[in-house]
Amino acid sequence: MNRKKYKQLRVVVFLFILAIVCLAVISNSYLLATVGALTGMLFMTAMRLKTKIGIDEREKTIREKAAQLTYAIFAPTIGIGAFLLLFPSLSRLSVFSKGEFIYLESLGMVFVYLTLFLIALYAISYFFINRKYGGGNNEE
Amino acid sequence: MPFPIFLLIENMGAVIMKSKLKVFRAMHDLTQEELADKIGVSRQTVIAIESDKYLPSLGLAFKIAKLFKVKVEDIFINEGGINDD
Repeated sequence: MNRKKYKQLRVVVFLFILAIVCLAVISNSYLLATVGALTGMLFMTAMRLKTKIGIDEREKTIREKAAQLTYAIFAPTIGIGAFLLLFPSLSRLSVFSKGEFIYLESLGMVFVYLTLFLIALYAISYFFINRKYGGGNNEE
Repeated sequence: MPFPIFLLIENMGAVIMKSKLKVFRAMHDLTQEELADKIGVSRQTVIAIESDKYLPSLGLAFKIAKLFKVKVEDIFINEGGINDD
């Protein structure tokens, strides 16, 4: 099976699973929806492994750059967002002291933890990927 | 005008290369689809390499060179960039 046939099969399986999931949701059978989705994923993984079709290297590069860009945009956005949501409540502005915008402060806290989680995840994955590709202190 | 981050990412590995893949493919009478199947990539990747929009990895470059029984530098020519100094 070549890449083209694999892609065609992937579309067919995707449509089939989509139909099953839609029917399951309509009939309120969430178990069937979950099982349908998992079966589809397992089937496609098995098919990919059997046909030995790897990810195209150009596609891999695109994914890497997209992830890099997403991080570069998302992390500062939620970081600044958190600061803007928390700063007025810390400076005791009148509208915040009345408690009218208490949910905004909570949202700010959520954003803060999300930013920290994102940065921690990036640091951890950077550490392990760096080690995988020979980075570290193994000088001779 | 492109977003500045795009420029930052684009300029990180700036090596100007020219590919003669199209010439070699024509010499061996292969279609883009056939070549893509032989080297294990998608047709879009072959198109991108031929139009110098994508720089292949070292592994893929050697694979292509091996297929056409030539050296890598016969297919991919460095036209400046990072190695200019």
